[in-house]
Amino acid sequence: MLRIEGLRKNFGGLKALDGLDFEVPPRSILGVLGMNGSGKTTMLNCINGVYIASSGSIQLDGKELTGLKPAQIFDRGVGRTFQVPRVFSRMTLWDNLAVPLLSRSMTRAERDEIRATWLKKVHLFDLRHNYAEELSGGQQKLLELARIMVSRPKLVLLDEPFAGVNPTLSRLLIDVIRDMPGETGCSVVLVSHDLTSIYELSHDIIVMHEGRILARGDAETVQSNPDVVEAYLGA
Amino acid sequence: MNELLLQGLVNGIILGTIYALIGLSLNVIFGVLRVVNFAHGEFIILGAYGAYFAQKLLGLSPFLAMPLIFLAFAAMGYGLYFVLIKRLAKSDDPEHASLLVMFGVAIALGALMLIFFEADSRSLSYTLDPPFFMFGSVIVPTAKLVALGIIVVITAVLAFFLYRTLPGKALRAIIMNRDAVQIVGVNLERMSALTFGLGLGLAGITGVLVALIFPAFSPFIGQDYTLIGFIVIVLGGLGHPVGAVVGGIIFGLTEQTALVYTSGTTATLLGFLLLIGVILVRPTGLFGREALK
Repeated sequence: MLRIEGLRKNFGGLKALDGLDFEVPPRSILGVLGMNGSGKTTMLNCINGVYIASSGSIQLDGKELTGLKPAQIFDRGVGRTFQVPRVFSRMTLWDNLAVPLLSRSMTRAERDEIRATWLKKVHLFDLRHNYAEELSGGQQKLLELARIMVSRPKLVLLDEPFAGVNPTLSRLLIDVIRDMPGETGCSVVLVSHDLTSIYELSHDIIVMHEGRILARGDAETVQSNPDVVEAYLGA
Repeated sequence: MNELLLQGLVNGIILGTIYALIGLSLNVIFGVLRVVNFAHGEFIILGAYGAYFAQKLLGLSPFLAMPLIFLAFAAMGYGLYFVLIKRLAKSDDPEHASLLVMFGVAIALGALMLIFFEADSRSLSYTLDPPFFMFGSVIVPTAKLVALGIIVVITAVLAFFLYRTLPGKALRAIIMNRDAVQIVGVNLERMSALTFGLGLGLAGITGVLVALIFPAFSPFIGQDYTLIGFIVIVLGGLGHPVGAVVGGIIFGLTEQTALVYTSGTTATLLGFLLLIGVILVRPTGLFGREALK
Protein backbone atom coordinates (compact mmCIF):
# COMPACT_ATOMS: atom_id res chain seq x y z
CA MET A 1 0.00 0.00 0.00
CA LEU A 2 2.04 3.03 1.21
CA ARG A 3 5.81 2.77 1.21
CA ILE A 4 8.01 5.62 2.39
CA GLU A 5 11.78 5.45 1.98
CA GLY A 6 14.38 7.98 3.11
CA LEU A 7 11.87 10.83 3.23
CA ARG A 8 13.51 14.15 4.05
CA LYS A 9 12.11 17.66 4.17
CA ASN A 10 14.26 20.66 4.93
CA PHE A 11 13.14 24.23 5.55
CA GLY A 12 16.38 26.14 5.05
CA GLY A 13 18.74 24.68 7.65
CA LEU A 14 15.93 23.01 9.61
CA LYS A 15 15.51 19.28 9.09
CA ALA A 16 11.78 18.81 9.57
CA LEU A 17 11.93 15.22 8.31
CA ASP A 18 15.22 13.41 8.58
CA GLY A 19 15.03 10.14 6.69
CA LEU A 20 11.71 8.44 7.38
CA ASP A 21 11.24 4.81 6.36
CA PHE A 22 8.01 2.95 6.94
CA GLU A 23 5.20 1.06 5.27
CA VAL A 24 1.46 1.01 5.78
CA PRO A 25 -0.05 -2.35 4.76
CA PRO A 26 -3.48 -2.60 3.11
CA ARG A 27 -6.55 -2.36 5.38
CA SER A 28 -4.55 -1.18 8.38
CA ILE A 29 -4.37 1.81 10.70
CA LEU A 30 -0.96 3.32 11.45
CA GLY A 31 -0.95 5.58 14.49
CA VAL A 32 1.60 8.41 14.56
CA LEU A 33 2.60 9.94 17.87
CA GLY A 34 5.04 12.72 18.58
CA MET A 35 5.41 16.03 20.31
CA ASN A 36 4.65 19.33 18.62
CA GLY A 37 7.33 19.98 16.01
CA SER A 38 8.30 16.34 15.66
CA GLY A 39 7.33 16.37 11.96
CA LYS A 40 3.98 14.55 11.96
CA THR A 41 2.01 17.14 9.98
CA THR A 42 5.00 17.84 7.70
CA MET A 43 5.03 14.14 6.86
CA LEU A 44 1.32 14.22 5.95
CA ASN A 45 1.91 17.37 3.91
CA CYS A 46 4.64 15.58 1.94
CA ILE A 47 2.47 12.52 1.35
CA ASN A 48 -0.46 14.48 -0.04
CA GLY A 49 1.65 16.94 -2.02
CA VAL A 50 1.15 20.12 0.00
CA TYR A 51 4.94 20.10 0.45
CA ILE A 52 7.45 18.72 -2.02
CA ALA A 53 9.86 16.38 -0.27
CA SER A 54 13.52 17.41 -0.33
CA SER A 55 14.47 13.80 -1.06
CA GLY A 56 13.21 10.26 -0.65
CA SER A 57 10.38 8.25 -2.09
CA ILE A 58 6.66 8.01 -1.37
CA GLN A 59 4.91 5.18 -3.20
CA LEU A 60 1.28 4.15 -3.21
CA ASP A 61 0.72 0.66 -4.60
CA GLY A 62 4.15 0.86 -6.19
CA LYS A 63 3.53 4.20 -7.93
CA GLU A 64 5.58 7.26 -7.03
CA LEU A 65 3.68 10.18 -5.51
CA THR A 66 6.57 12.61 -4.98
CA GLY A 67 6.39 15.63 -7.27
CA LEU A 68 2.68 15.30 -7.91
CA LYS A 69 0.23 18.08 -7.03
CA PRO A 70 -2.34 17.57 -4.24
CA ALA A 71 -5.19 17.17 -6.75
CA GLN A 72 -3.24 14.52 -8.67
CA ILE A 73 -2.42 12.68 -5.44
CA PHE A 74 -6.10 12.78 -4.50
CA ASP A 75 -6.87 11.23 -7.89
CA ARG A 76 -4.40 8.44 -7.07
CA GLY A 77 -6.51 7.66 -4.00
CA VAL A 78 -5.08 9.66 -1.10
CA GLY A 79 -7.56 11.63 1.05
CA ARG A 80 -6.60 14.04 3.81
CA THR A 81 -8.24 15.83 6.72
CA PHE A 82 -6.79 18.71 8.74
CA GLN A 83 -6.49 19.67 12.38
CA VAL A 84 -8.61 22.72 11.62
CA PRO A 85 -11.31 21.40 9.27
CA ARG A 86 -11.38 22.96 5.80
CA VAL A 87 -15.02 22.55 4.87
CA PHE A 88 -16.80 24.72 2.31
CA SER A 89 -18.56 26.79 4.92
CA ARG A 90 -21.23 28.44 2.76
CA MET A 91 -22.28 25.27 1.00
CA THR A 92 -24.72 22.69 2.27
CA LEU A 93 -23.37 19.44 3.68
CA TRP A 94 -24.84 17.67 0.66
CA ASP A 95 -22.94 19.95 -1.74
CA ASN A 96 -19.75 19.70 0.32
CA LEU A 97 -19.74 15.99 -0.42
CA ALA A 98 -20.35 16.61 -4.12
CA VAL A 99 -17.13 18.53 -4.77
CA PRO A 100 -14.70 15.57 -4.45
CA LEU A 101 -16.86 13.59 -6.85
CA LEU A 102 -16.09 15.98 -9.72
CA SER A 103 -13.11 13.86 -10.70
CA ARG A 104 -14.87 10.52 -10.12
CA SER A 105 -16.92 8.84 -12.82
CA MET A 106 -20.16 7.97 -11.08
CA THR A 107 -23.81 8.15 -12.04
CA ARG A 108 -26.01 10.63 -10.21
CA ALA A 109 -27.66 7.76 -8.34
CA GLU A 110 -24.27 6.41 -7.23
CA ARG A 111 -23.23 9.87 -6.09
CA ASP A 112 -26.41 10.32 -4.10
CA GLU A 113 -26.12 6.90 -2.56
CA ILE A 114 -22.54 7.25 -1.38
CA ARG A 115 -23.18 10.75 -0.03
CA ALA A 116 -26.20 9.55 1.91
CA THR A 117 -24.28 6.52 3.21
CA TRP A 118 -21.44 8.59 4.60
CA LEU A 119 -23.60 11.36 6.01
CA LYS A 120 -25.59 8.68 7.84
CA LYS A 121 -22.39 7.06 9.12
CA VAL A 122 -21.26 10.33 10.70
CA HIS A 123 -24.79 11.14 11.95
CA LEU A 124 -25.15 14.26 9.80
CA PHE A 125 -27.72 13.06 7.25
CA ASP A 126 -30.58 14.96 8.88
CA LEU A 127 -28.53 18.16 8.59
CA ARG A 128 -27.62 17.62 4.92
CA HIS A 129 -29.41 20.77 3.75
CA ASN A 130 -27.76 22.95 6.42
CA TYR A 131 -24.72 25.06 5.65
CA ALA A 132 -21.40 23.68 6.89
CA GLU A 133 -20.72 26.86 8.86
CA GLU A 134 -23.70 26.02 11.07
CA LEU A 135 -21.97 22.87 12.37
CA SER A 136 -19.86 22.66 15.52
CA GLY A 137 -16.10 22.17 15.15
CA GLY A 138 -16.46 18.47 15.90
CA GLN A 139 -19.25 18.03 13.38
CA GLN A 140 -17.13 19.82 10.78
CA LYS A 141 -14.41 17.22 11.38
CA LEU A 142 -16.95 14.47 10.78
CA LEU A 143 -18.10 16.24 7.61
CA GLU A 144 -14.51 16.57 6.40
CA LEU A 145 -13.97 12.85 6.98
CA ALA A 146 -17.18 12.00 5.10
CA ARG A 147 -16.12 14.34 2.27
CA ILE A 148 -12.92 12.34 1.86
CA MET A 149 -14.57 8.95 2.17
CA VAL A 150 -17.17 9.50 -0.58
CA SER A 151 -14.29 9.47 -3.08
CA ARG A 152 -13.42 5.88 -2.03
CA PRO A 153 -9.76 6.60 -1.18
CA LYS A 154 -7.13 3.90 -0.84
CA LEU A 155 -5.26 5.83 1.84
CA VAL A 156 -6.69 8.28 4.37
CA LEU A 157 -4.48 10.74 6.24
CA LEU A 158 -6.10 12.04 9.42
CA ASP A 159 -4.44 14.97 11.19
CA GLU A 160 -5.52 15.31 14.81
CA PRO A 161 -9.12 14.23 14.21
CA PHE A 162 -9.96 14.27 17.93
CA ALA A 163 -8.52 17.69 18.80
CA GLY A 164 -11.22 19.99 20.14
CA VAL A 165 -13.96 17.39 19.71
CA ASN A 166 -16.39 16.65 22.55
CA PRO A 167 -16.36 13.11 24.03
CA THR A 168 -19.60 12.02 22.32
CA LEU A 169 -18.47 13.03 18.84
CA SER A 170 -14.98 11.72 19.62
CA ARG A 171 -16.50 8.29 20.37
CA LEU A 172 -18.40 8.44 17.09
CA LEU A 173 -15.22 9.37 15.21
CA ILE A 174 -13.33 6.46 16.81
CA ASP A 175 -16.06 4.02 15.78
CA VAL A 176 -16.15 5.33 12.21
CA ILE A 177 -12.35 5.28 11.82
CA ARG A 178 -12.09 1.77 13.30
CA ASP A 179 -14.58 0.42 10.74
CA MET A 180 -13.09 2.20 7.70
CA PRO A 181 -10.39 -0.34 6.71
CA GLY A 182 -12.76 -3.29 7.00
CA GLU A 183 -15.68 -1.64 5.26
CA THR A 184 -13.92 0.25 2.48
CA GLY A 185 -10.57 -1.48 2.14
CA CYS A 186 -8.62 1.70 2.79
CA SER A 187 -5.60 2.19 5.02
CA VAL A 188 -5.34 5.00 7.53
CA VAL A 189 -2.47 7.11 8.82
CA LEU A 190 -3.73 8.59 12.07
CA VAL A 191 -1.80 11.49 13.61
CA SER A 192 -2.98 12.34 17.09
CA HIS A 193 -1.97 13.50 20.53
CA ASP A 194 -4.81 11.44 21.95
CA LEU A 195 -2.92 8.40 23.26
CA THR A 196 -6.03 6.48 24.25
CA SER A 197 -7.52 6.73 20.78
CA ILE A 198 -4.21 5.88 19.08
CA TYR A 199 -3.76 2.80 21.26
CA GLU A 200 -7.35 1.75 20.71
CA LEU A 201 -7.40 2.16 16.94
CA SER A 202 -3.91 1.51 15.59
CA HIS A 203 -2.66 -1.81 14.30
CA ASP A 204 0.81 -0.35 14.34
CA ILE A 205 2.28 2.81 15.88
CA ILE A 206 5.28 4.97 15.09
CA VAL A 207 6.61 7.59 17.47
CA MET A 208 8.32 10.54 15.85
CA HIS A 209 10.94 12.78 17.41
CA GLU A 210 12.81 15.61 15.67
CA GLY A 211 11.87 14.38 12.20
CA ARG A 212 12.90 10.76 12.80
CA ILE A 213 11.14 7.59 13.90
CA LEU A 214 12.01 6.98 17.50
CA ALA A 215 10.07 3.76 17.95
CA ARG A 216 7.71 1.47 16.12
CA GLY A 217 5.45 -1.38 17.13
CA ASP A 218 2.12 -2.16 18.73
CA ALA A 219 0.80 -0.18 21.68
CA GLU A 220 2.52 -2.34 24.27
CA THR A 221 5.90 -2.21 22.53
CA VAL A 222 5.76 1.55 22.12
CA GLN A 223 4.63 2.18 25.68
CA SER A 224 7.48 0.13 27.07
CA ASN A 225 10.22 1.59 24.82
CA PRO A 226 12.65 3.47 27.14
CA ASP A 227 13.49 6.07 24.46
CA VAL A 228 9.81 6.83 24.00
CA VAL A 229 9.22 7.00 27.71
CA GLU A 230 12.07 9.46 28.07
CA ALA A 231 11.34 11.60 25.02
CA TYR A 232 7.58 11.63 24.81
CA LEU A 233 5.50 9.73 27.27
CA GLY A 234 7.27 10.81 30.44
CA ALA A 235 8.42 8.57 33.26
CA MET B 1 -46.58 57.43 -9.04
CA ASN B 2 -44.91 60.09 -11.12
CA GLU B 3 -44.81 58.85 -14.74
CA LEU B 4 -41.22 59.92 -15.26
CA LEU B 5 -40.15 58.17 -12.09
CA LEU B 6 -41.90 55.01 -13.28
CA GLN B 7 -40.04 55.28 -16.59
CA GLY B 8 -36.80 55.77 -14.65
CA LEU B 9 -37.47 52.67 -12.55
CA VAL B 10 -38.14 50.53 -15.64
CA ASN B 11 -35.00 51.85 -17.35
CA GLY B 12 -33.07 51.28 -14.13
CA ILE B 13 -34.09 47.63 -13.90
CA ILE B 14 -33.25 46.93 -17.55
CA LEU B 15 -29.89 48.72 -17.48
CA GLY B 16 -29.30 47.27 -14.01
CA THR B 17 -29.45 43.77 -15.45
CA ILE B 18 -26.77 44.71 -18.01
CA TYR B 19 -24.64 46.09 -15.19
CA ALA B 20 -25.37 42.90 -13.25
CA LEU B 21 -24.09 40.80 -16.14
CA ILE B 22 -20.88 42.86 -16.22
CA GLY B 23 -20.49 42.46 -12.45
CA LEU B 24 -21.35 38.77 -12.59
CA SER B 25 -18.57 37.93 -15.01
CA LEU B 26 -16.08 40.15 -13.19
CA ASN B 27 -17.02 38.57 -9.88
CA VAL B 28 -16.69 35.01 -11.09
CA ILE B 29 -13.21 35.84 -12.41
CA PHE B 30 -12.17 37.61 -9.23
CA GLY B 31 -13.70 35.01 -6.93
CA VAL B 32 -11.99 32.05 -8.56
CA LEU B 33 -8.73 33.53 -9.80
CA ARG B 34 -8.27 36.54 -7.47
CA VAL B 35 -7.57 38.43 -10.68
CA VAL B 36 -8.75 42.03 -10.92
CA ASN B 37 -9.69 42.14 -14.59
CA PHE B 38 -9.21 45.80 -15.29
CA ALA B 39 -9.52 45.10 -19.02
CA HIS B 40 -13.09 43.79 -18.70
CA GLY B 41 -14.63 46.87 -20.30
CA GLU B 42 -12.31 46.62 -23.30
CA PHE B 43 -13.33 42.98 -23.80
CA ILE B 44 -16.97 44.11 -23.69
CA ILE B 45 -16.33 46.67 -26.40
CA LEU B 46 -14.42 44.05 -28.39
CA GLY B 47 -17.60 41.93 -28.18
CA ALA B 48 -19.57 44.85 -29.59
CA TYR B 49 -17.12 45.11 -32.49
CA GLY B 50 -17.42 41.34 -32.94
CA ALA B 51 -21.16 41.71 -33.50
CA TYR B 52 -20.56 44.71 -35.78
CA PHE B 53 -18.14 42.87 -38.05
CA ALA B 54 -20.16 39.64 -37.95
CA GLN B 55 -23.01 41.68 -39.34
CA LYS B 56 -20.96 43.65 -41.82
CA LEU B 57 -18.74 40.86 -43.16
CA LEU B 58 -20.87 37.74 -42.67
CA GLY B 59 -24.34 39.22 -42.68
CA LEU B 60 -25.13 37.68 -39.29
CA SER B 61 -27.76 39.34 -37.14
CA PRO B 62 -26.50 40.36 -33.67
CA PHE B 63 -28.79 37.76 -32.11
CA LEU B 64 -27.27 34.95 -34.17
CA ALA B 65 -23.76 36.30 -33.61
CA MET B 66 -24.18 36.20 -29.83
CA PRO B 67 -23.51 32.46 -29.25
CA LEU B 68 -20.59 32.53 -31.72
CA ILE B 69 -19.07 35.52 -29.93
CA PHE B 70 -19.51 33.75 -26.60
CA LEU B 71 -17.64 30.70 -27.89
CA ALA B 72 -14.89 32.77 -29.54
CA PHE B 73 -14.36 34.88 -26.41
CA ALA B 74 -14.49 31.85 -24.14
CA ALA B 75 -11.79 30.18 -26.24
CA MET B 76 -9.74 33.39 -26.16
CA GLY B 77 -10.12 33.59 -22.36
CA TYR B 78 -9.14 29.94 -21.94
CA GLY B 79 -5.99 30.50 -23.99
CA LEU B 80 -5.19 33.84 -22.40
CA TYR B 81 -5.28 32.18 -18.97
CA PHE B 82 -2.29 30.01 -19.85
CA VAL B 83 -0.42 32.81 -21.61
CA LEU B 84 -0.96 35.57 -19.06
CA ILE B 85 -3.03 34.81 -15.97
CA LYS B 86 -1.42 31.57 -14.83
CA ARG B 87 1.84 33.38 -14.11
CA LEU B 88 0.03 35.89 -11.89
CA ALA B 89 -1.19 33.13 -9.60
CA LYS B 90 2.43 32.48 -8.61
CA SER B 91 2.85 36.08 -7.46
CA ASP B 92 2.98 36.82 -3.73
CA ASP B 93 0.17 39.34 -4.25
CA PRO B 94 -1.93 38.19 -7.23
CA GLU B 95 -4.60 40.88 -6.73
CA HIS B 96 -2.21 43.81 -7.11
CA ALA B 97 -0.12 42.12 -9.79
CA SER B 98 -3.23 41.32 -11.82
CA LEU B 99 -4.58 44.84 -11.41
CA LEU B 100 -1.40 46.25 -12.96
CA VAL B 101 -1.11 43.62 -15.70
CA MET B 102 -4.77 43.86 -16.69
CA PHE B 103 -4.57 47.65 -16.64
CA GLY B 104 -1.78 47.27 -19.19
CA VAL B 105 -3.91 44.84 -21.20
CA ALA B 106 -6.76 47.40 -21.11
CA ILE B 107 -4.52 50.12 -22.53
CA ALA B 108 -3.11 47.77 -25.16
CA LEU B 109 -6.56 46.50 -26.18
CA GLY B 110 -7.92 50.05 -26.38
CA ALA B 111 -4.98 51.09 -28.57
CA LEU B 112 -5.33 48.02 -30.81
CA MET B 113 -9.05 48.67 -31.28
CA LEU B 114 -8.23 52.25 -32.18
CA ILE B 115 -5.67 51.11 -34.76
CA PHE B 116 -7.84 48.42 -36.35
CA PHE B 117 -11.36 49.82 -35.93
CA GLU B 118 -10.57 53.57 -35.96
CA ALA B 119 -11.93 56.21 -33.63
CA ASP B 120 -15.35 56.64 -35.25
CA SER B 121 -18.36 55.57 -33.21
CA ARG B 122 -20.16 52.53 -34.62
CA SER B 123 -23.62 51.16 -34.15
CA LEU B 124 -25.43 47.97 -35.08
CA SER B 125 -27.99 48.10 -37.82
CA TYR B 126 -31.11 46.11 -37.02
CA THR B 127 -34.87 46.54 -37.02
CA LEU B 128 -37.32 45.15 -34.53
CA ASP B 129 -41.03 45.35 -35.12
CA PRO B 130 -42.60 47.00 -33.23
CA PRO B 131 -39.70 49.27 -32.26
CA PHE B 132 -41.12 49.82 -28.77
CA PHE B 133 -43.91 48.78 -26.41
CA MET B 134 -46.13 51.03 -24.34
CA PHE B 135 -47.05 49.88 -20.85
CA GLY B 136 -49.44 52.60 -19.76
CA SER B 137 -47.33 55.70 -19.98
CA VAL B 138 -44.05 53.81 -19.87
CA ILE B 139 -42.17 53.34 -23.15
CA VAL B 140 -39.86 50.35 -23.42
CA PRO B 141 -37.85 49.88 -26.62
CA THR B 142 -38.14 46.33 -27.97
CA ALA B 143 -34.34 46.00 -28.07
CA LYS B 144 -34.20 46.63 -24.31
CA LEU B 145 -36.91 44.06 -23.68
CA VAL B 146 -35.08 41.50 -25.81
CA ALA B 147 -31.82 42.30 -24.00
CA LEU B 148 -33.62 41.88 -20.66
CA GLY B 149 -34.96 38.50 -21.76
CA ILE B 150 -31.51 37.35 -22.90
CA ILE B 151 -29.90 38.46 -19.63
CA VAL B 152 -32.56 36.68 -17.58
CA VAL B 153 -31.90 33.48 -19.54
CA ILE B 154 -28.10 33.84 -19.21
CA THR B 155 -28.39 34.50 -15.47
CA ALA B 156 -30.69 31.51 -15.00
CA VAL B 157 -28.31 29.24 -16.95
CA LEU B 158 -25.35 30.55 -14.95
CA ALA B 159 -27.21 30.05 -11.66
CA PHE B 160 -28.09 26.50 -12.73
CA PHE B 161 -24.46 25.88 -13.61
CA LEU B 162 -23.15 27.27 -10.30
CA TYR B 163 -25.70 25.68 -7.99
CA ARG B 164 -26.81 22.49 -9.73
CA THR B 165 -23.80 21.05 -11.58
CA LEU B 166 -20.65 19.47 -10.17
CA PRO B 167 -18.22 21.84 -11.96
CA GLY B 168 -20.32 24.80 -10.78
CA LYS B 169 -20.24 23.58 -7.20
CA ALA B 170 -16.48 23.08 -7.48
CA LEU B 171 -16.19 26.62 -8.80
CA ARG B 172 -18.10 27.98 -5.79
CA ALA B 173 -15.94 25.84 -3.53
CA ILE B 174 -12.83 27.45 -5.04
CA ILE B 175 -14.25 30.89 -4.24
CA MET B 176 -14.74 29.77 -0.61
CA ASN B 177 -11.49 27.91 -0.01
CA ARG B 178 -8.80 27.58 -2.66
CA ASP B 179 -6.59 25.34 -0.53
CA ALA B 180 -9.31 22.87 0.39
CA VAL B 181 -10.46 22.22 -3.19
CA GLN B 182 -7.04 20.98 -4.20
CA ILE B 183 -6.99 18.31 -1.52
CA VAL B 184 -10.35 17.01 -2.73
CA GLY B 185 -9.08 16.59 -6.26
CA VAL B 186 -10.28 19.72 -8.02
CA ASN B 187 -7.86 20.67 -10.80
CA LEU B 188 -7.45 24.33 -9.90
CA GLU B 189 -5.59 25.20 -13.08
CA ARG B 190 -8.20 23.75 -15.42
CA MET B 191 -11.06 25.28 -13.44
CA SER B 192 -9.30 28.66 -13.44
CA ALA B 193 -8.83 28.52 -17.22
CA LEU B 194 -12.48 27.56 -17.69
CA THR B 195 -13.53 30.40 -15.41
CA PHE B 196 -11.51 32.98 -17.29
CA GLY B 197 -13.01 31.62 -20.50
CA LEU B 198 -16.49 31.84 -19.01
CA GLY B 199 -15.84 35.40 -17.79
CA LEU B 200 -14.60 36.62 -21.17
CA GLY B 201 -17.41 34.75 -22.96
CA LEU B 202 -19.91 36.65 -20.84
CA ALA B 203 -18.02 39.90 -21.51
CA GLY B 204 -18.37 39.23 -25.26
CA ILE B 205 -22.13 38.68 -24.96
CA THR B 206 -22.42 41.79 -22.80
CA GLY B 207 -20.71 43.71 -25.60
CA VAL B 208 -23.36 42.60 -28.10
CA LEU B 209 -26.14 43.61 -25.69
CA VAL B 210 -24.47 46.97 -25.06
CA ALA B 211 -24.32 47.54 -28.82
CA LEU B 212 -27.99 46.58 -29.10
CA ILE B 213 -29.39 48.97 -26.52
CA PHE B 214 -27.02 51.94 -26.60
CA PRO B 215 -26.86 54.14 -29.67
CA ALA B 216 -23.14 53.75 -30.38
CA PHE B 217 -19.82 52.38 -29.19
CA SER B 218 -16.18 53.26 -29.76
CA PRO B 219 -12.75 52.09 -28.54
CA PHE B 220 -12.79 54.81 -25.87
CA ILE B 221 -15.64 53.66 -23.64
CA GLY B 222 -14.29 50.38 -22.29
CA GLN B 223 -13.08 51.88 -19.02
CA ASP B 224 -16.61 53.20 -18.29
CA TYR B 225 -17.90 49.64 -18.23
CA THR B 226 -14.96 48.40 -16.18
CA LEU B 227 -15.71 51.10 -13.63
CA ILE B 228 -19.40 50.21 -13.54
CA GLY B 229 -18.48 46.56 -13.10
CA PHE B 230 -16.31 47.33 -10.10
CA ILE B 231 -18.96 49.54 -8.52
CA VAL B 232 -21.48 46.74 -8.94
CA ILE B 233 -19.31 44.04 -7.37
CA VAL B 234 -18.28 46.24 -4.46
CA LEU B 235 -21.97 47.05 -3.86
CA GLY B 236 -23.02 43.40 -3.95
CA GLY B 237 -19.98 41.81 -2.37
CA LEU B 238 -16.58 41.14 -3.91
CA GLY B 239 -16.22 37.65 -5.32
CA HIS B 240 -19.87 36.68 -4.92
CA PRO B 241 -21.84 36.01 -8.14
CA VAL B 242 -25.28 36.55 -6.61
CA GLY B 243 -24.21 39.82 -4.99
CA ALA B 244 -23.30 41.17 -8.43
CA VAL B 245 -26.86 40.75 -9.67
CA VAL B 246 -28.27 42.68 -6.72
CA GLY B 247 -25.50 45.31 -6.96
CA GLY B 248 -26.15 45.80 -10.68
CA ILE B 249 -29.85 46.37 -10.27
CA ILE B 250 -29.36 48.75 -7.33
CA PHE B 251 -26.81 50.76 -9.30
CA GLY B 252 -29.04 50.81 -12.39
CA LEU B 253 -32.05 51.97 -10.36
CA THR B 254 -30.03 54.66 -8.57
CA GLU B 255 -28.56 55.99 -11.80
CA GLN B 256 -31.75 55.97 -13.86
CA THR B 257 -34.10 57.36 -11.19
CA ALA B 258 -31.57 60.08 -10.43
CA LEU B 259 -31.58 60.96 -14.13
CA VAL B 260 -35.29 61.79 -13.84
CA TYR B 261 -34.59 64.59 -11.40
CA THR B 262 -31.01 65.65 -12.12
CA SER B 263 -28.39 65.83 -14.84
CA GLY B 264 -26.38 62.88 -16.10
CA THR B 265 -23.32 64.07 -14.20
CA THR B 266 -25.21 64.26 -10.93
CA ALA B 267 -26.69 60.82 -11.54
CA THR B 268 -23.20 59.37 -11.99
CA LEU B 269 -22.09 61.20 -8.86
CA LEU B 270 -24.97 59.64 -6.92
CA GLY B 271 -23.86 56.19 -8.08
CA PHE B 272 -20.41 56.82 -6.64
CA LEU B 273 -21.86 58.26 -3.42
CA LEU B 274 -23.87 55.06 -3.07
CA LEU B 275 -20.66 53.09 -3.52
CA ILE B 276 -18.82 55.13 -0.88
CA GLY B 277 -21.77 54.81 1.51
CA VAL B 278 -21.85 51.03 1.15
CA ILE B 279 -18.09 50.76 1.66
CA LEU B 280 -18.34 52.83 4.84
CA VAL B 281 -21.34 50.99 6.30
CA ARG B 282 -20.83 47.45 4.94
CA PRO B 283 -17.27 47.02 3.63
CA THR B 284 -18.06 43.43 2.54
CA GLY B 285 -20.89 44.67 0.30
CA LEU B 286 -24.65 44.57 0.77
CA PHE B 287 -24.70 40.78 0.76
CA GLY B 288 -21.16 40.12 1.94
CA ARG B 289 -20.55 36.50 2.88
CA GLU B 290 -24.21 35.56 2.53
CA ALA B 291 -24.21 36.01 -1.23
CA LEU B 292 -22.47 32.72 -1.96
CA LYS B 293 -25.15 30.60 -0.33
